Amino acid sequence: MSRGTQSPPRWAEALLEQLLSAHERETVVGDLREEYAESAVVQRGRLLADLWYLRQIWSFVPRRLFQNRIEGKMLQAISFFTFACACWLATMEMVLRHPGYGLRIVFAVSIALISLATMIGRLGHVERRGEGWRWAGALLLIGIGGQAFLRNVRAAHFEGFVVVISVALVVQGVLMVMSRSRTA
Amino acid sequence: MADLLGTFEQAVLLAILRLDADAYGRAVLHQAQELLQRNVSAGSVYTTLDRLEARGLVSSRLAEGTPVRGGRARRYYTVAGKGIEALSDAHSALTTIWAGVQLPTGV
Repeated sequence: MSRGTQSPPRWAEALLEQLLSAHERETVVGDLREEYAESAVVQRGRLLADLWYLRQIWSFVPRRLFQNRIEGKMLQAISFFTFACACWLATMEMVLRHPGYGLRIVFAVSIALISLATMIGRLGHVERRGEGWRWAGALLLIGIGGQAFLRNVRAAHFEGFVVVISVALVVQGVLMVMSRSRTA
Repeated sequence: MADLLGTFEQAVLLAILRLDADAYGRAVLHQAQELLQRNVSAGSVYTTLDRLEARGLVSSRLAEGTPVRGGRARRYYTVAGKGIEALSDAHSALTTIWAGVQLPTGV
């Protein structure tokens, strides 16, 4: 076969396509096919070029696994959980009205809003205009969750549900920092 | 000052600037390898391009594909004004922190 007419194995290209977003699928697969045909096969031969191509596919795996699948689903599930917990906490504070309930309601409503925004992807859109919103929301969650966890650990009565909610808040905050909008 | 760019991000932005009108993915990959003087995986370059585009530091446009690409389009990148600013900030920061420093010799 002449130079520049060879292409990577079809199954490998199909695999690569699965790892890419719609935004980049066509162009990245095209770029790598070009590189394979014009450079990799010419310089290394077919077998090593195939291995080179597999290595390139592998380089997309961590991002795909972490950002699009595991992380996205985890963030969605945790956001739903913290949203439900925050609504429940705000309601209970309003009903019971223990001392300092006003501030706790503000925190609970803030958590609910951040979680709701995360669930419906609004933070992703806001992020395109400024990273600050995502960071602010995430740091607030980490702060509230961390403080609740420490106070509960030091308290005379250890309450399991507080630990679960506070850990969920911290994890959600960390995932928000690590994730990015992938609307394209 | 926005978050400072990492070395790899700077290399990708500078690769786009050097390539000018020819800055499509594969060319950026080659140029980044040349600048960093090491092998760079496609995944790391495209992930960085994607992130820089999401942050508004680069913009892109599609152009027609060629037969060797199976007709698939090329995506050409341009460094946006915000990207130039970020590069300038990174350069200034480096200049500032290295100012007056003389590394000990013979260590």
